[in-house]
Amino acid sequence: MMGGTWQRLKTDRYGMSGLVVVIFFFIVALLVWTGMLGQGWSEVSGNSWESASVTHWFGTNLLGQDILQRTLFGTATAYEVGLTVTVCSAILGTVMGALAGWYRDSWLDEVILWLKGVLDSIPFYLFAAAVAFALQGSPAAMHLAMIITFWTTTARIIRGEVIRIKQREFIEAARAIGLPGLTTVFRHVLPNTFHILLVQSTIVFVAAINTEVILSFLGLGIQDGVSWGLMLAESSQEVLAGHFGNFIAAGTSLFILLMGFNLLADALQDALDTRRVIK
Amino acid sequence: MNSFSQHAKPPLLEVRNLSLNFHNQKQVAVDQVSFAIKAGRTLGLVGASGAGKSSLARSIMGLTEPGTGEILFKGKNISLMDSQQLKTTRQGLQFVFQEPSASLSPRRTVEQTLLEPLKHFAIGDKDYRQQKILKTLQTVGLNQNVLQRYPHQFSSGQQQRIAIARALITNPELVIADEAVSSLDTSIQAQILQLIQNLQKQHGITFLFISHDLAVIRQIADDVAVMYRGQLLEQSPVDTFFGNPAHPYSKILLSFANYEVPSHTVGNNWSLDRGRLSTDSAHTCVFAALCPEKMPVCERLEPASHTIQNKNHPPLQQHCVKCHLYDEAKSNET
Amino acid sequence: MSKVALRVENLSVWFGKGPQRKQVVDRISFSINAGEATGLVGESGCGKTMTGMAILGLLSTTGANVRSDGIELNGKDISGLNAAQRRAFLGRDIAMIFQQPGTAFDPVFTLGQQISAVYRRHFDGNKKQVRRTMLESLESVGFNQAESITAAYPHQLSGGMRQLAMIAMATVCKPAVIIADEPTTALDGSTRALILQQLERLRHQNKTAILIISHDLSVVKQSCSDVMVMYCGRLLEKTDCESLFSHARHPYSAGLLSCIPQISPIRPPAINSIPGQVPAADKLPPGCHFAPRCARTESQCRQSVPEFDSAHQAGVACFRPL
Repeated sequence: MMGGTWQRLKTDRYGMSGLVVVIFFFIVALLVWTGMLGQGWSEVSGNSWESASVTHWFGTNLLGQDILQRTLFGTATAYEVGLTVTVCSAILGTVMGALAGWYRDSWLDEVILWLKGVLDSIPFYLFAAAVAFALQGSPAAMHLAMIITFWTTTARIIRGEVIRIKQREFIEAARAIGLPGLTTVFRHVLPNTFHILLVQSTIVFVAAINTEVILSFLGLGIQDGVSWGLMLAESSQEVLAGHFGNFIAAGTSLFILLMGFNLLADALQDALDTRRVIK
Repeated sequence: MNSFSQHAKPPLLEVRNLSLNFHNQKQVAVDQVSFAIKAGRTLGLVGASGAGKSSLARSIMGLTEPGTGEILFKGKNISLMDSQQLKTTRQGLQFVFQEPSASLSPRRTVEQTLLEPLKHFAIGDKDYRQQKILKTLQTVGLNQNVLQRYPHQFSSGQQQRIAIARALITNPELVIADEAVSSLDTSIQAQILQLIQNLQKQHGITFLFISHDLAVIRQIADDVAVMYRGQLLEQSPVDTFFGNPAHPYSKILLSFANYEVPSHTVGNNWSLDRGRLSTDSAHTCVFAALCPEKMPVCERLEPASHTIQNKNHPPLQQHCVKCHLYDEAKSNET
Repeated sequence: MSKVALRVENLSVWFGKGPQRKQVVDRISFSINAGEATGLVGESGCGKTMTGMAILGLLSTTGANVRSDGIELNGKDISGLNAAQRRAFLGRDIAMIFQQPGTAFDPVFTLGQQISAVYRRHFDGNKKQVRRTMLESLESVGFNQAESITAAYPHQLSGGMRQLAMIAMATVCKPAVIIADEPTTALDGSTRALILQQLERLRHQNKTAILIISHDLSVVKQSCSDVMVMYCGRLLEKTDCESLFSHARHPYSAGLLSCIPQISPIRPPAINSIPGQVPAADKLPPGCHFAPRCARTESQCRQSVPEFDSAHQAGVACFRPL
């Protein structure tokens, strides 16, 4: 099963390059978290706006901080935000979607759907600002705002899958021995949704990072550290003065990583489709 | 075993006046069906698609909304039981589905699938369960190296064996098989039928075997019950059904099975008949519209179920027919 | 003298190459005359459906490799045609009735729209003519209320009705050859009898040549004059129905026949079965593919492949036929 998926994925050149990019950046993030890279992100190590040189590969920013160090740290931030939001919203979305789908047309389904509707209608950036205000500028505000709004898409998809799977005979077989509903959902239904969840998660990851970029422009992004979004926000003034270091470093990294994830997501979707025949 | 003691034991499964509607009460699935299955005698349930056989089977298992009427398993009324009491009963009553690939959970190994009923019903300890799994696999003709594999890695014949093993693992007394061999190839079907016959003879398991294929029923059943549009029209020992059926519908079913098309069925969309609505009149025989032996009374009054006595039957094998043709027979009985 | 409506010579289908090659059809040859029906019998995975689809050229998008010495439809070779040329005669001169009537129809169009679309693809005609032809087609398969059927969507009909509608769609252009893939599987006795009646009518009235693909030998016995038995991509026996059912010569054919449950007034004998199971297409045993399951195997059977010239009308691929 997973073996078959890997075989198919291996043949997809774009997908494999996406995977390589994702893994490469993840290793960088790991190195930052373990303290081996990017530790000098806040240190003022040079003059303001130095251009690229041997000591500062991308030059320095307005404050004299090394852009390369900040870019490396930004990788860790990207993964930290991406993983936290993806995992938490996936769990929340799956549980809500599974309950709504299994107890379809019951009051629980109605409540969850209503909640989804409400959350989907709130303008996100307003909501993020409200959460930041409510939490007194805590660094977790951004993550929280994203998790609370991102789970709805996952829930909708999982709910649809659960409704489909519910009708299959092996679920009837579980009911035939009297297996309780919730046990059936977690033991038999949800494992069959993993393939969709996986693809959806890569998409959420990309959305999380993109959202963080915009939040940074609004001043609602990362508070204790640096992210590519913050660097891009900084660069918006800098490029007017002819300094492109921040912009190129952050923009390129962002583009490559997101491109990698997108290629991987598409390839995963094809690879997980067991009915495709490879020529 | 003398006939007296057989008479004294209650039937293994008894259904009394079971009725069930679906699609929001608009369509009749099962209509006042009554029958009994004695331990050791397999009942073959036949009828065209849409006759209600599957609905009846699922209703017995508690897989549909509850209907009206009574279902007695080993003498106890299971239609009234709550889920706790039902749990112990369910051990003795198991189900095998039509599509083996669909009835096995795709992300669970064979071992997990076979362990699940044992764990759910809290049967035995770890050693017992291990032994039981191995023994059951042997009974269905599978090797223990199937345990760590997933359903999709097996052929449909093997998958159906796994499904049967799952049904057997709790030592059930009654197994309901719903078209369990209908989607299998001829030679695989023969293998599974042999397995079922073995289970009947060597392990004493009673089956409620549903099939639209009369030839399969011929091989496997001791008694035959015929359903049409939710009603049970005839129930008889298997030799009687295939030798000398009483109900006109049974005769037509047999003709079709022998590839003989009775002339009156041509051009009438005969088989393309849809289900029965709960708003349809109750004062008519369900088969009247298409019956070649229709009498005026058939469209005015629903026939009662008559017991036909026949000196060729052993005394306790019933032959019931729901047909006005046998009204006189009833009046001749004492 | 009937003319040959369909002739297939040495048709082979395989997937992959080298050691991972999966041979699903291995040099099949046969011919069917106008107005006759031949059965292609075998169990799941033997390649019979692939044979039917290869004849129609429907395998081009699946990664399958198809090769033959010729596939002739009314004398014209269709094996080398490209997709556009093929589209000109598919549905008009040769049509297929598929295994799953539920999925063969498009659920968002009515039956009337789908059937008339087939007709309009090959023939011109004004709206009235097309409608008349379509209604005739539906009536000829036994629908008493053809008008209401044309307005119905596939999901509104039962399985048996859908199968009849599929026959109507396949025959609206009165093709010379019809390939019916498991036309009666999963349908109950009465519907089965109706479907077979329809196929018989097509043979007699329209002189259609029919290839019936089925795992059900008794269906073939009822409706065909000739039969071919297939196993793991190869033809093991080819003969007329009467001969096969009275004295099958290949052990596999005989085995299959003995598996069929019988209806009889007296208690039938115990069921027979063929031990073992069909090998996977990428793990075919050397020599005769049936050897591991055969009671009459000798060393020659495992070393070389028994063959018969399947261009002949009858033959058996066995070193020790019964």
